[in-house]
Amino acid sequence: MRVVKFEKKNTEKLFDVLSRFGEVWSPMEKGESYSYQKIEDSNNFIFHEEVTRTILPEKKLLLPQKFPTLKFNSKKYEKPNEEIPTKILFGIHNCGISALNILDEFYTTDFVDADYQQRRNKLIIVGVSCIADEHCFCDKTNTNIVEKGYDIFFADLCNYYLVWIGTSKGDDIIRMGEDMGIFDANIPGDVTNKYAEYRKRNRESYCNDIDLEGSTDLMELSHDAEFWQELGDICLSCGQCTMVCPTCTCYNVIDEIDLNKDTGQRIRYWDSCLFKDFSLTAGDHNFRAARSERLKLWYTHKLKAFIGKFGAPSCVGCGRCIVTCPVDINIKTVAEKLKKKRAL
Amino acid sequence: MSNKPTLGIFGFTGCAGCQLALLNCEDQLIDLFEAADIKVFYEAMSNNDDGAEVDIALVEGSINTDKQKEELFHIRKKAKTLVAFGSCASYGCVQAMAYGDGKWEERFRKVYGDVEFAVGKAFEAQPIHKFVKVDATIPGCSPATHQMLTAITKLLNGNLPVYTNAPVCLECKLHENECLLNKGILCLGPLTQGGCTAPCISHNTPCVGCWGIIEEANHSAEIELLIENGYKIEDIIRKFRIFGGSKISEQYTKLWRL
Ligand code: SF4
Ligand code: SF4
Ligand code: SF4
Ligand code: SF4
Ligand code: SF4
Repeated sequence: MRVVKFEKKNTEKLFDVLSRFGEVWSPMEKGESYSYQKIEDSNNFIFHEEVTRTILPEKKLLLPQKFPTLKFNSKKYEKPNEEIPTKILFGIHNCGISALNILDEFYTTDFVDADYQQRRNKLIIVGVSCIADEHCFCDKTNTNIVEKGYDIFFADLCNYYLVWIGTSKGDDIIRMGEDMGIFDANIPGDVTNKYAEYRKRNRESYCNDIDLEGSTDLMELSHDAEFWQELGDICLSCGQCTMVCPTCTCYNVIDEIDLNKDTGQRIRYWDSCLFKDFSLTAGDHNFRAARSERLKLWYTHKLKAFIGKFGAPSCVGCGRCIVTCPVDINIKTVAEKLKKKRAL
Repeated sequence: MSNKPTLGIFGFTGCAGCQLALLNCEDQLIDLFEAADIKVFYEAMSNNDDGAEVDIALVEGSINTDKQKEELFHIRKKAKTLVAFGSCASYGCVQAMAYGDGKWEERFRKVYGDVEFAVGKAFEAQPIHKFVKVDATIPGCSPATHQMLTAITKLLNGNLPVYTNAPVCLECKLHENECLLNKGILCLGPLTQGGCTAPCISHNTPCVGCWGIIEEANHSAEIELLIENGYKIEDIIRKFRIFGGSKISEQYTKLWRL
């Protein structure tokens, strides 16, 4: 893997280079939070070292919240032939890259989701290192340092960035940047020390004391635990946890027919397994009619089920459920209940 | 003779805003007029054919008098498919704010005194399903363009509209809003049927529930949360009741004794 050096003073030029490859998307402030938005102006192109916990995660660039997945008329159907633009996701942190690695496995193993794949093929991932805040716990989910899943990654070594190049696409970008004089193949001699310091800074930034140890087995053993009912009693069924979780994939499709025409479209939109109708089947049967059952499913998915198939849990420690659930049902409080550390 | 489906759009007690919302779909009106043979449209036409049989009747408004009740029976008899159009027809809406509190007569006398109405005996606002079989509902105060036209298109094609049972929070989150509940603001999104596209929250205003209560609403959990955030129980209940209509007393009789 090739590495180069980058200095912050060249940030504006970097925006220039990236813009030549496609639309640049990056976290922008939204209210008291952040949102991934298209960057039109280099002033909004910022290296965010701090946590940019966007309200909605990266998945919105790959499978938008709501979009037509098919167009049809009374005789035939076809994929909408819209042009998918190349997008560069700049400023994504390790948890986000890990989440996309998980989505890649989910959407392309056994069965390839064409809607996902066509956008994924057009996504260039430019990661940036970060310093955890009080909600982050990617150290506990082993997603704090990524080794794959990015085209380029900027690690902040304080005086300069060490730039890792992960793919040939990333290399194309770096080469263009080298031509413009913003990347330097000469790495300073102190790089190993600096890099070790960077890893230490990263390690020491975590202060979320969530305890996930053994949680996979504890999920199995807590299938009939009383606390599920108690959580079910306070859950608002708002579905926000699933919308904000970077590894949630539930969706629904509905067909809409155009007024006075024989055309229509099949709309695909994010759905939530926390909604009652999600598990409604023919004959009005619902195999997860109780909120407690639905919550149990969600945490089984995050902490246990994914391991069987893909070898790792599907929680990447981003902390979104912690800051989002209005009634504090989240991975941390559930982990506490699993360990009975929290009074019921 | 046209073989287009026939449509009647009727209105009872309400602000007539649902009919207006339909009239306001200017870009789609020509298509609507082409797709349906409109026999009655109270707010838009002067030559309404009240006695006509129709394939689809959209009924706006709540029922408040004996005379309206008779008219509603008549519409039901003449319509193949009858649709509750908007929140008033579906569950009473704001005029049913105090639904079922037992003090309606008292309030009525206070406002009108002992009068006889030419429109027959008056009573507390009732949703239309209290009197006739309702085949479908188009929710909202007033209904949202996209949801309403999608539903009407389905009806004109001989199908019933289907909605997913998701709360306002779904569309709120799809628009990437920060949750107002987390800022201590009383938002009724989790208790309210979605479909409106959450315009209020996207304009930084909490949901007041105008699409009606969702079946899965967890009122007691929301009350607990709001009390934790410093709201008084009376204020919370009052807020619930603004658009709670008949649904609230049907589903939550226990809750109101708090
Ligand atoms: S969870 Fe980890 S990778 Fe994500 S923002 Fe926090 S520290 Fe960075
Ligand atoms: S479960 Fe919570 S912390 Fe884990 S990835 Fe999902 S939102 Fe992030
Ligand atoms: S767990 Fe929390 S965020 Fe998820 S549906 Fe329930 S109340 Fe909403
Ligand atoms: S702001 Fe209101 S509608 Fe939006 S997610 Fe929060 S509770 Fe639901
Ligand atoms: S957000 Fe709530 S109040 Fe606003 S339109 Fe939707 S249901 Fe009505």
